[in-house]
Parts: sequence; structure tokens; C-alpha cells
Amino acid sequence: MDYLAPATLDDAYRALEAEDARCLAGGQSLVAMMNLGLVSPARLVSLRRIEALRGIDLQPDGSLRIGAMTTHAEVAALTVSAAGPALLAQTARVVAYPAVRAWGTIGGSVAHADPAADYPVALVAADALIEVSSASGTRRIAARDFFRGLFETALEKAEIVTAVLVPPGAQGAGAAYEKLSPVAGDFAIASVAAIAGRTARLGVGGYATTPIRLEGIGVSDDALLEAGRALAASSEPSDDHRASAAYRRRVLPELIRRAVRTALIGARA
Amino acid sequence: MSQAKRRSVLTVNGEQHHVLAPAAATLLDVLRTGLGLTGSKCGCNHGVCGACTVLLDGKLARSCLTLAADVGERRVTTIEGIAGDLDFSAVQRALVESGAIQCGFCTPGFVITLTELFARDPHPGRETIRAALSGNLCRCSGYVKIVEAAEHLAGGVR
Repeated sequence: MDYLAPATLDDAYRALEAEDARCLAGGQSLVAMMNLGLVSPARLVSLRRIEALRGIDLQPDGSLRIGAMTTHAEVAALTVSAAGPALLAQTARVVAYPAVRAWGTIGGSVAHADPAADYPVALVAADALIEVSSASGTRRIAARDFFRGLFETALEKAEIVTAVLVPPGAQGAGAAYEKLSPVAGDFAIASVAAIAGRTARLGVGGYATTPIRLEGIGVSDDALLEAGRALAASSEPSDDHRASAAYRRRVLPELIRRAVRTALIGARA
Repeated sequence: MSQAKRRSVLTVNGEQHHVLAPAAATLLDVLRTGLGLTGSKCGCNHGVCGACTVLLDGKLARSCLTLAADVGERRVTTIEGIAGDLDFSAVQRALVESGAIQCGFCTPGFVITLTELFARDPHPGRETIRAALSGNLCRCSGYVKIVEAAEHLAGGVR
């Protein structure tokens, strides 16, 4: 394996043209997979030196643009009131452990697309855009179209996730991320990201191979539990070492109810 | 997969080291086998257990999830860099005095984690301590004494 640490995106695009080259962001998933022998890339292209991938900026339309190399700890430290960015910040606070949050990045998490990861769920609920760039230009993909399957995304060869763009969400809406895991910091058995005002928009994660998006859900307890039961009945939850499909179906309605109840505490009419 | 080695310079506990290691070598590999700094332990080797925790520029890091080649200019602090030759650090003393060490395998990771916590918050409460320690596993399950040691230190008990 060879290792390159280009200083610019243009150099990174060139380095990624090699056979079986992969981006190295924070390394908190990729290096673990290398240590376990699950992947052995021919080339790693470290994104650590590329300034263009850093920084968090408020866009003119009120969206927050979060550079791909922004760490979970940096997102967790955001003090924002708009529901979309607030959802991301809350989510970042429960990703893994302090040492992982110090170096793991939002771009890395998005590109890795672990079905049990936290960010993809929140990004789908927030109607975020994933910005990806290559030598041939930049495109923005809706988060709900970006996650395609188990560790599968819309990224093409030699494309780099450069940022995520998080819209503010409806005025006065609140946000919450509810995660069920056996131990704090573990991956989710199931999780629900919610943006809620008069109605709720939800991302459901950990539950299936990709995040599921629901919108226009009524916010009474009955309506939320019913939406959860309907989704449980119509979906194919994962059946794996973390939990059975039956267990996931069972916990989903209550997770949805809790996420929206918590989100509404932060909402203003 | 090529095993070609590459040269890099690591700053560990204030000293510069020139190391020659495969590009896929983790910082933990290089610390233990290249530099003989065996205080950082290899427990799970995929980021879950915390026994390999070090500081990178003062921030907690899993040395098993950090490639040595990717450390660059960041300064590494290992358990060997925490205390002087003859004396323990305050965190280490607190752990000893509370009987918070059983087999000791996880202890370097806990010391590093608590050192980082106390550097930014000299008087953490119990919940803060527990949250900070959430990424370190003790297979002897000696968590109660470890949290007590940190609470003693937070309360100024020496």
C-alpha cells in the first residue's frame, strides 16, 4: 500500500485515479477495517492537509455548510438554534466515544455509509445535501438519494465528499436524535432523527440497510405510534448480531414517539 | 499488497523519532514495536476498548485507528510521557490511592483519558467523569473505583 497526503483537491483527484485508491479522512472506520483485514486498499489518499475541506459556514440561504473534514467533536460543539443544524449537533454528541469524536469526520462517515451510523439518519431527516467533487466538477446530491445500500453511496470513482449542506428547517421547528444502543457509544440497533413543528419529518436508521425518510407525520402520540407501526409492517428491518428484525419492529414506534416528543420541547409555535 | 516501508518523523513525548514502517502500520504498532513504548496496549485493535488511547496535540486518539504515516506534525503523548521518572502524575496517584487498578491492562488508556479530562475541566462531576470514560473498557469491570478515583481528584483530595 502507498500513502499520499496531497495539499489540494486537484492533487487528491489525481491521486485517486490509481487502481483501488481510497480516501483516508479521520480513519476511525477505515483503519479499523484495515486492521480487521476487511479492506486492503492499494493506495490511501489522506485528506488531512486539504484546507478546502475544513470549516463551517453559514450560507446566504440559511443553510450550514459543514466541510467534510469537520470532526464530530466540532459539530457537537455547535450552538445553533435552527432545527436542521441543531439536529446534526445533537447527533454528533452521541457518535461513538470522545476519542473517536475527536478525529472522526462527517465526510468520512457519509462516504462510509455504515447502515448503523448516526449522521446519515440525521442528514436524511434534515433534507441535507451531500456535496461531492471530482476533477470534472462539483455536484450536490440529496442525502435521501445518496445512501444507496449497505456501505453503498452515489459516489463515483475519484469523487470526494467535500461538504454537507444542512438547511435550517421550518421556522420554529425543534429537533432531536433518539438512539437505541446496548451501551452508550455503541452503534445503533435503531435510531430516529426528528425535525418537528406542526408535523414531523423523520429519518429512521440502524433499522435497515439505508436510512428511511418519513414526512408529514402528525405529532400526537397516537399518530406517531401509528406511523411507527405502519413503517414496521411495511419495511424489511435488518436481522443481525445487534438485534432481530422482530425486535427492531417492536421498538420502532416508541423510538419515533420519543424522538418527536423531545424535538417538540425545543420547538416554538 | 506491497509491504514497502516508508519513512516518517514522529514527535513522541517531546522527542523526535525517525521511523521506518509500512504505510498501513498504525501508530500503536510503531509505538510498541518500533519505539519500544509498550505502555499503550493493544486490546481490540479496532477502536472499541480504549487501551491504546494516546494524545494527539492534546486530544484523545485511538493509536490503533491512527496510521503512523498520517500523524504528520501532530505531537504524540503516550502513557510514558505522563509522569516524571520518579513520580506519578496526580491522575496516576489518585488511581493508586483509590485501588482503581486490577490487572492493569486498561490502566494506561484510563490514565490518558482522565489526564485529558482534567486538563480541560479540573473539577468534573460524576456524570462528566462517566461520559469521559465511556470509551474505555475495563474487563475486570473495576469501573466503580476508577470513577471514585476521578471524583477524589476532582474534589481536591490528594
